Amino acid sequence: MEIKFDSVYYTYNQRTPLNKKVLNNLNVEFKKDKVNGIIGKSGSGKTTMIELINALLVPTSGKVSINKFINKNGKKIKDVNKLRRQVGLVFQFPEEQFFNKTVKKELLFGIKYLNYQTKNSDKRCSDALKMVGLDDSYLDRNPFTLSSGEKRKVAIASILIFNPKVIILDEPTIGLDSISKNNLIKLIKMLKNKYHKTIIIVSHDVDMLHQICDYIYVINNGEVVMEGTKYEVFSNPDELTKYGIKCPKIMEFSNKVLAKKNIKIGYRDDIMDLIKDVYRHVK
Amino acid sequence: MDDIIIIKDLIFKYDERFIFNRFNLNIRKGSFTSIIGPNGCGKSTLVKIILGLIKTDSYLNIDQLILGNDNIKDIRKRIGVVFENPDNQFVAETVMDDIAFSLENMKFKKQDIRDRIEKYTKYLGIFDLLEREPHRLSGGEKQLVALASALIIEPKILILDEALTMVDTELKEKTYKLLQELHQNHNITIINVTHDLEDSLYGEDIVVIDQGQVVLKGPKELVLKEEKILSNIGLDLPFMASLSLKLKYYDLVDDLILDMDEMVDVLWK
Repeated sequence: MEIKFDSVYYTYNQRTPLNKKVLNNLNVEFKKDKVNGIIGKSGSGKTTMIELINALLVPTSGKVSINKFINKNGKKIKDVNKLRRQVGLVFQFPEEQFFNKTVKKELLFGIKYLNYQTKNSDKRCSDALKMVGLDDSYLDRNPFTLSSGEKRKVAIASILIFNPKVIILDEPTIGLDSISKNNLIKLIKMLKNKYHKTIIIVSHDVDMLHQICDYIYVINNGEVVMEGTKYEVFSNPDELTKYGIKCPKIMEFSNKVLAKKNIKIGYRDDIMDLIKDVYRHVK
Repeated sequence: MDDIIIIKDLIFKYDERFIFNRFNLNIRKGSFTSIIGPNGCGKSTLVKIILGLIKTDSYLNIDQLILGNDNIKDIRKRIGVVFENPDNQFVAETVMDDIAFSLENMKFKKQDIRDRIEKYTKYLGIFDLLEREPHRLSGGEKQLVALASALIIEPKILILDEALTMVDTELKEKTYKLLQELHQNHNITIINVTHDLEDSLYGEDIVVIDQGQVVLKGPKELVLKEEKILSNIGLDLPFMASLSLKLKYYDLVDDLILDMDEMVDVLWK
């Protein structure tokens, strides 16, 4: 599924004294069936970007193509519910939007609201929960009594129930402890590898992005200023600093050894591999 | 040194389940303490109890006042608090009015309010946001506005409850350094409640809570050596602590080194 921004501008509160230009000639094409990470300083336009993909916002000018759907000013998308079923968006703190008394009702709400025709909604609920690692016993539970990690999973399941091709997650690890965060990372990897979803994650958690992303896009003042594989992007600490972004710790260490001692120890994803490299160089 | 918060035998139940069962904790006056624990361990409940937002019959002494209905207002004047989701704290239509709100309630003079707003928003680098609508800001900007609102009352105790989670890494580091400066220069007691041990590196002491009990307490250099206890309750060590302990195992370093520059210099002398 193609997701492409062509010369997109977006201004909040246009034609008012409070107007604020957030996206400024943004051009980007996300990689299909991959995990795409968007990073940028607070206020750089990250959340605006994903709200444009889901047609919650309309560009001030330029266009956003989501497969055959075109989101542009002056042209209303005909079947916006269909777009939102194909592109599932999980907001920041999704659990704060729960209002039903059971997990099942919460899961079925989207189906009703987005006018989704399905014969077997019970099976859909079970399958969606299974994908996030929760069993049927959760269906009758009160969502408000779940742990933060479980709530986040139910929120993701309420998107997966539509079997979307694209899943967008806005700051998915905020507020989660290590166990819940590591579970979420496993879930995202599985959604990509087993179910071939295209995933877009907005986050400032560079250590998490380093663990799961294939591609990284750096946004600054509403423009894409860096893009590439995580190694290409995170091996440029000086440029990242210009945009207020730090490297993942494990890559920062290699970058520091290179900068201070002029020794290339290379980049590793796992700390034990890094230890082996350090051992080889030091001993 | 005096303790600014003393909690004795705290008992608190929710839905017939004990969140705290005879929980004891003292916080040193003028310390920068991180309270760490996994989701659901009772951290946020503890903050609400300290603020009197959740009532208990247990003994809590806050800055030499015993928490109770009579002095709850006095206690709250001494505590600045920032919660994780600042949307729940915003009350006004502009950032300026929002930050001014608490001082207006305390009947401060207009000029004093303006002076303090300028001081703290410039300090946190958010002076340009004053005319904006709080709800239209990015998550990180909202959290900094909430922090400014807490600092403006010049509290004796500042409690941060997962308060900088949405601030991007570089700005977060800068903000923590400003807080360290405030803590050192003005002797503010800072309590940073978080699930992320990485953030505890900015403080001095660490208190680890699990299932309503204090599991570990002490200076960060000692607590961070307890890898087994921390991982058993699902807490990942900060990268530098984990790297140090592993390198120590291979005899490449002698002790915990939490500073990356120092580590590189020690390894490649």
